Order: sequence, then C-alpha cells, then structure tokens
Amino acid sequence: MSSVSSTTTAVAPATTLRPRTATAAESARARWGRRFQHGGWFVAPFFVMYGLFVIVPVVRGLYLSLTDANISGDHTSFVGLANYREALKDDLVWSSLWHSVKFTMYVVPCIIVVALLMALIAHHAVHFKWLWRLCFFAPFLLPSAVVGNLWWWLFQPTNGMVNHVLGLDTPWLAQKSTAMTAVVIATLWWTVGFSFLLYLAALQNIPQHLYEAAELDGANAFKRLLHITVPNLRNITGLVLALQILASLQVFDQVVVMYQFGPGPEESTRTFVQYTLEQGFTSYRVGYASAISFILFLIIAVVALGRMWLLRNREEAAR
Amino acid sequence: MTAPTPVMRKSRSTWTPAQIALTVVAAALSLIWVSPLVWALSTSLKTPTESVTSPHWIPKDFTLDSWKSVFEAGNIPNWFVNSLVVSVCVTFIVMLVASLAAYGFARTEFRGKSALMALTMAGLMFSPAILGVPLFTTVQSLGMVDTYWGMILPQCAPAAMVYILYKFFQSLPRELEEAAFIDGAGRWRIFFTIVLPLSKPSLSAVGIFTFIASWNNFLWPYMVTNNPDLMTMPNGIATVQNAFGIVWPKLMAGGLIAGLPLIIVFVFFQSQIVRGVAHTGLAGQ
Amino acid sequence: MGLPGLNRRQLLAGVGGLTVAGSLGFAALGTGADALASSARTRVRYWNLFSGGDGANQVAMVDAFRTAHPDVAVKASTLTWGGPYYTKLAMAAAGNRAPDLAVMHQGRVPGFAPGRLLDPWDMDLLTKYGVKEADFNPVLWQRGIVDGKLYALPLDIHVQLNFYRKDVCEKAGLLDADGKLPSAGSTDEWFEILKSAKKQLRNGVQTLGLHANDQNFAWWFFVAFYQQLGGSYFNDDQTDVTFDTDKATQVLEFFRKHVTDGYVTVGAADGEAFIAGSPFTWEGNWSVPYFNGEKVGYGAQPLPPVFGTPATHAESHSFVLPHQSDRGGAANEGAHMLAAYMIKHATAWAGGGHVPAYLPTFEDPAYLKLSPQSEYSKPAMEHPATEPHIWFAGSTGILAQRIGPVVAASNLGSAKPDAAARRMKSGLEQLLAMKNPMDGRTAAQELKGAGA
Repeated sequence: MSSVSSTTTAVAPATTLRPRTATAAESARARWGRRFQHGGWFVAPFFVMYGLFVIVPVVRGLYLSLTDANISGDHTSFVGLANYREALKDDLVWSSLWHSVKFTMYVVPCIIVVALLMALIAHHAVHFKWLWRLCFFAPFLLPSAVVGNLWWWLFQPTNGMVNHVLGLDTPWLAQKSTAMTAVVIATLWWTVGFSFLLYLAALQNIPQHLYEAAELDGANAFKRLLHITVPNLRNITGLVLALQILASLQVFDQVVVMYQFGPGPEESTRTFVQYTLEQGFTSYRVGYASAISFILFLIIAVVALGRMWLLRNREEAAR
Repeated sequence: MTAPTPVMRKSRSTWTPAQIALTVVAAALSLIWVSPLVWALSTSLKTPTESVTSPHWIPKDFTLDSWKSVFEAGNIPNWFVNSLVVSVCVTFIVMLVASLAAYGFARTEFRGKSALMALTMAGLMFSPAILGVPLFTTVQSLGMVDTYWGMILPQCAPAAMVYILYKFFQSLPRELEEAAFIDGAGRWRIFFTIVLPLSKPSLSAVGIFTFIASWNNFLWPYMVTNNPDLMTMPNGIATVQNAFGIVWPKLMAGGLIAGLPLIIVFVFFQSQIVRGVAHTGLAGQ
Repeated sequence: MGLPGLNRRQLLAGVGGLTVAGSLGFAALGTGADALASSARTRVRYWNLFSGGDGANQVAMVDAFRTAHPDVAVKASTLTWGGPYYTKLAMAAAGNRAPDLAVMHQGRVPGFAPGRLLDPWDMDLLTKYGVKEADFNPVLWQRGIVDGKLYALPLDIHVQLNFYRKDVCEKAGLLDADGKLPSAGSTDEWFEILKSAKKQLRNGVQTLGLHANDQNFAWWFFVAFYQQLGGSYFNDDQTDVTFDTDKATQVLEFFRKHVTDGYVTVGAADGEAFIAGSPFTWEGNWSVPYFNGEKVGYGAQPLPPVFGTPATHAESHSFVLPHQSDRGGAANEGAHMLAAYMIKHATAWAGGGHVPAYLPTFEDPAYLKLSPQSEYSKPAMEHPATEPHIWFAGSTGILAQRIGPVVAASNLGSAKPDAAARRMKSGLEQLLAMKNPMDGRTAAQELKGAGA
C-alpha cells in the first residue's frame, strides 16, 4: 500500500540546506540536528508493541510451522518441512483458498461499481446530500457479527426479508449454488460505504475548472464523465482495488457468523482464514495451522508488492 | 447519473429534470440500503412467534419485550462496557504510539532508522487474520489470554497509522519547530505543544478510524477471549447464546444495540467522520 | 486470575485516569459490585452448550441448585453449540483460564487430551456428594474412564428420533390401537408410510424433515442406519479401515430416495415445518420441550429399523473438569457438588428430552409419566449407535466435519451414493493415519500405548 521508496527518503538535517544567518540561530539549528540523533526514543514505544505483537508472532509462526506443536504447548517436536508438504497435498487448503479467491473476484468489482455509482450520486445531488451519505455509509459502522446475524435472518427461506421482497422461496444459505452469492451480497451491503467515501473525497478533489472548460468545448455530461471524471479517478481506483483485494482475501467474520461457524452447504463457503483457525483451534494443530498461514501471507505479499511495483512503474513513466 | 452541475446553476429552481431523476435514483438506492436495518428493527418489535409466521413489515403485536430482556437478562450491557473500554484504550494508545513513532521517523535521525522504517512498512502486510494462530500462542505465553490487556495491546501496533501520520508530519513546515527550538524548547515540548495541535485533523482521522475498527473488531477478541464476561460486543453476540435457542427478535434487538451507537454518533459528526475516513484511506495513496 | 474483576482492576491501575474517566469509571463500578458478590461465597464457573429446547430445563436446574446451596455462586454461561464451544473450551484450558466445570459430549473426551486439557474427577468428593458407579449405566461410565481415571461423568444419553404428528398419521390410518406409530421394519414399509402421509398434505408441505443439507445431522443419521446394517469403521487394533462401501451406499441411496421422491424439501426449517403441519421430522430428543411448548399432538420413536436391526444414533452429555493448573479448593469442590446435584436430579433434566444416565431416575414415577420420553427412552438406551471410540470422533468432531459433508453432498445429489461412499472410506483412511496432535501418536499407537 505504500512504496518502499518513501522509506529511504530520510529527512536530511535541516542545517545543511540553509544559508548562513546569525551565529546564535545557526548553532541552535546545529544542535537541533544533533540532538535529534537520539530520536529513537520517539519510535521506541511503537516498536515495543510492534516487536511483541508483530515481529515475535511472525518469527514464532515460522518456527511453529516447522513443528507438530499442539494448542497445549507441550509434546512439540521438530518436523522440518512436513507441514508444508502436507499442506500442498491437502485438498481443503486448496478448496478454501479457492473460496477466498472466488469471494474476492466477485465482491471487489461489485464494490467498485456500486461505490462509484453512489459517489457520483452523492456528489452531484443538490438535495438531501447528507441523507444519501448517511444511508450509503451507515452499514459500514456495524460490527461484522451483527452483519452476519442480520443477513442470516434476512436470507431465511420462508421468513426472511429477501425472499419476501423478491417473492422467491430460495434457500439462500442452504444450497451450494447461492451460498457464496449470499455472502457477497451481505459484504457488498456492509463494506461499500468505505470505498464510497474514498470515491466521494476523490470526486471533490477534481478541479471544477476542468469541467467548465470541457463544457465550453461543447462536451455533454456523458463525455465529461468519460474524459474528465474517470481518468481523474484512476489513482483512487487503484487504491480501492488494492485495499479491497487485500481485505477480501482475508475474509472471515461475516461468513462464519452467517453459517454459524460451519463450512456452509457442501463446504462451499469455508474461507482460508477459517480453515487455518479450524486447524489451529478446532483440530488443535498449531504447527500445521501456522504453516498454512504462511501460504496466505505469500499471496498477500505478492499482491502488495505487485501494487508497489505498478505504482513505481507509473511514477517513472510520469517522470 | 452525472447531472451537469453548471447547467443546474444557471436554472432558477434547483429541481431540474436531471436533479429530479438523480434524487429518485438516490432515494431508491438508499431505500435498498436501509431496508435491512428497518427489517431488523421491525423484527425486534415483534413477538418471537410473530417473527416466524408469514413475513411482514409492520408488527401486529407491537412489543418492547425483546429490547427489555436484552437489557435486563443478557450479557449485552456488560459486553457494551467491555467494548467501550477496549476501543477507548486502543484508540488512545494507538494515537499516542503512532504519532510519536511517525514524528520520530519524519523529523529525527537515529541509527537504523531506514531499516526500522522498512520493517514498519512490511508490517502493513500482516494482520491478525494471517498471524492469528502464532499471535495467540504469543499472547498465551505472555499470560494475557482472557484479559483486557490481551485484547487491547495486540491492536496497538498499527503500521498503517504510523505511515499515515508520517506522511502528514513530513508535509508540515519545519520553521515553526525550528523557531521554538531556538527559543529553547525541548523536542518533547515541541512535539506536544506545537506539532500535535497542528495535527488535529490528521490525528482525529486516525482516532476515528481506529475507534471504528476496534469497536467492530471481531477476529482478535474472538480468539483471545473465552470468558463470556470479558467478551466485547461483536464477539459476545456471535459466540454466546441465551439458553433458549435462536429467538430472532432478541438477536435483532441485540444487534441494533451493538450497531446503533456508532450510527448515532455518525449522524451528529457526519462531516468529521467522512473527512476522517476519507483522509485515513486516501493517505494510503 | 480467573476473575474478570481482577483484570479489570489491573487494567484500571495501569491506565488509571489517563483518559475517558467516564467509561472506565463505569467499568470500575461494575468491578466493585462483582467483587463483593463473589468474595463472600464460593464461585463456580460453569460452561455449557445447551441452547436447544433443553436450555430452559438446564437453567431451571441451576436455579434449583442455587436455592438449595446459597453458599455457592454459580456463574453459568451458555456458548454457541458445536465447534465454537469446543474451540473456546480448549483455548481456555490451554490458556489456563478454564471454567471450574463444563459439559462435554462423551465422544469428544478421547480427543480432548485427558490429563492435559481435562482434569480427572476426585472420586472421594463425588462419593461425598452421593455419586457412585453402581448407579450408572455401566457402558456410559466405562467410556468416561481413561488410564484408570474418571474424566467424564455421564449426565445423559441423547438420541435421534423419528417425531410424528398424530393428527396427520391418524387421518392416514397409520396409528395402532394405542395411538402410536408402529415402527417400519423395511425401507418399503417406511416409504409406504411416507406415501400415505403425503396424501394428507397440502402442496408445498414437506413430508419428512431430514436435515438433508446439515452435515451433523446427515452424519448422525448415517451412523444409525449403517449400524443397522452391521457396518463397522475400523478393526479392533485401529490399524485398518473396515468401512463397507456397499453397506454405506445402501444407506446413502436410502437417504437420497427421500429427496428424489419428493418427501423432503432441501433447506426447509424442519422443526418449524413440523409445528406447521409436516407429519414427520428426524430430530434430536432435545426438540421435545420445543414441540411440547407448541401444543402439537405428536409421538417420538427411535429412527425406524428399516434395515432389520434396531439402532439409533446416540451421544452422551457428560460433566468434565477443564484443566486448571491450580485446581482444588472451594471452587473445585463446588464444581463436584453442582455436577452431582445435576446428575441426581435427572428427572428435571429428562424433561428436556434426554435419557438420564443416572439409573435410579428410571424408578421415579414422575419420570415414567413423561411423554413422549416413555415411548423412546428404553429402546434408545438398548440400541445405541455411537461413533467409533477414537480420538477424532465425537459430536461435531473432526470425523463429523470430514465425513458429514460427504453424506450431505450425496443427499443433495451433487455426489452419487457409491462415489460418496468411496470418498467416505478414503476420508476414514486419512484420519486413521493422522496423528493426534495432542500426543503425536496415531489411533493405533494410542491403543497400544506406544510412544510417539
């Protein structure tokens, strides 16, 4: 999500860049630069937290993935790469990974299209702007467990709202063919508000004079949308895409609540995160669970690095 | 969709045909988006029997029993307090820790800075969803399973927030800080009396976003709390049931109680929250 | 350490007044009241998973215990049934934050690391509170013993039943002189019954609730009928899979026929449909209080012996002591006291539909009067079909998670019965070769007592 390049742009000591002025001020500035050599104290609290709850678990996870550790922590022995070998042959690893990927492929385009649509509406509307904004964004403020329970109820075949409104009797959550669709609908409803706000903010940042100029050139509303709005939203779309892909691959909460922590009809909604937690906390195989976690991490890392690479390429092209 | 803004400005009434069409579309979409919440509210006001007999919007036997029983018998008030304690602590610690670290990265020099910065950036790729199992065993070995600390502290290492504030501090002009330094202020005083007040919009954005994320966090509290007395709202709702099976009106009443506080807050602080979320999100660009 | 109040106080000490005095102050108030209430008396934390129709009976029994023993404060928590419950229990025991007493399905005990995640019962304390081996069904008692120590104190046995509505069955002329449904002795007889009942129904009402797409129910029903055919899973040494795919196919085809012949609507809410007029449903006996509450005239019998030998799926709830490194003292004694009380007052528990494990209950006239319990409890007790006694088995255990979905897939028609039977067999082979993560040994090694 960020580019590594920014990490290397260390802030140069201010003194070197400035012209000579009064000596007192100059020496003060020199001290300012020097004394901040001990600025490490500023980052120390963060790194205590970060070390304990990110670095240690990563290292520990790597170690655990090479053992047959169980949840009680005793009887641990080193098993080398056996967990990884097992994971490659484990059908459930691949099917649950596929479910997470499939979910991502369905939900991300839906979110982008609907969020953009909502943002265009809220941006251009003159009346009741605040109301539309409230309605579109409100579901994002609900806890995932509430969202899961809510849609579990809405999708009930005989008493649920969805079938009542649509005049259907589809058992949404009970059959393989609709199970994932139901999760996608619930997720779209819940999370689209966040992307909607990002788009809205981006729309407000597009300079008005571009539109005015285009209008003078005789471009109609549709042309202005196509030639001004869309190109100006390219960056934000890239961001939304990346954020949503990364979040969707890690989907867990709403799915398990909608399916009461089960794997869904014919195991069609078990997500990857769910499978790691099942291995770790239901089957008590902490070692194996750690190993498969790193498979997901690899995929996440590829996506994140891929985005960085794209960004850097674009920056270079822009230069 | 794209009502031509300039055209509209020229006309006398703002109710141009385009605006009318836009309002209709907006209203339809809003209706769809709000209907699940309305249905939940309607269910919560029905009796359990009515809720499972032929679906309808307006309760015939209007009753507040479910709301009352949720407040009186259930664990929900307890979970509500837990959620509040956890979210407030997480927000406070994150704001403090992240702003300090971001300032350290943006304005000070120390050995190993770029390495630490790179390490922080790498942290953007880890989440409890990926690290869940080893994070749990780590917290277990710290003896923090089923404690407030166990819930709070692992949420307090937010690489993303450090990055957002880092970008912001970099954009601040240096002159003010330098002037204060020349006047003899120490760097801590500069940070607390000059930099932080200047950063109010960014800090409140980080704070708002952290609070929402923490209030709604399900996965981590789910992993680390087993004692129902200690659970936060989302976690308790999902894993603890009352002893009488699924009673939809109660489930919906509980859900609304968990969800409404933030929505009400949103109604009052709409523009700040919108700016906050947008700013936090956009900073990732 | 286990008291949330202490953590809350530690937290307050740590963060003390830094910010938001309001919300933290509120929490502190809660702590004060809590601490006062609990320090004066023995506090027993008790976890259970009774969220079905049996939940209300359980709450009533705990309340009765509180009245009888005001010196013991019971903090009872009902967690979501199934996988999440065992996850929470295991994590609590592993994190040394376990409750003092918990309910566990007996089939789960071998996989729950007796000795590590579970502590053994103190026989002297049990004797003190009037619990003795002679009062229990010997099979159930023996199943709770691991390495000579009692880990699971049996509370009940619970079975899958065929619930039938008397109104519909009477109209279809299916009931005998006593107003009971004679059990079907063959698949043909069973489908005849369904056919004549179906004629009495409006369109759109299903004839039988089969939970066809529910992996747990699908597996439980399979266990019952597979046992009726005399099928087995593993050899005695637990070195080989003896699963008979022909017999399994026969069972799966029997299930599938209900769907293809239109007796079952997939995805219907079976319990609600039964109340609304559907004549049959296969449910656990825990649905008895639910159906009783709805004033439906109905009977309940073990699943029909369509393959000749009677057998119906049975599991057992038992009390366990989750591992605490410092187990002992008043809370531990309170846990023994509470468990003994619940077991000895099993008539109230039987009101929840379960068949009590405590034999003197069967001489209680109040128990014998319960209906429909009287109709099913004896045959169910005599012909239980249980999952194999092995570490990965037990209610909602790894076995059910792996094999159940295969049965459900066959029910729904997305896998052919014979292919599903083969998949079940290969699943069993994988599980048998798997090492129990708790001790690093396979089932066979555990049986022989060999080292890892």
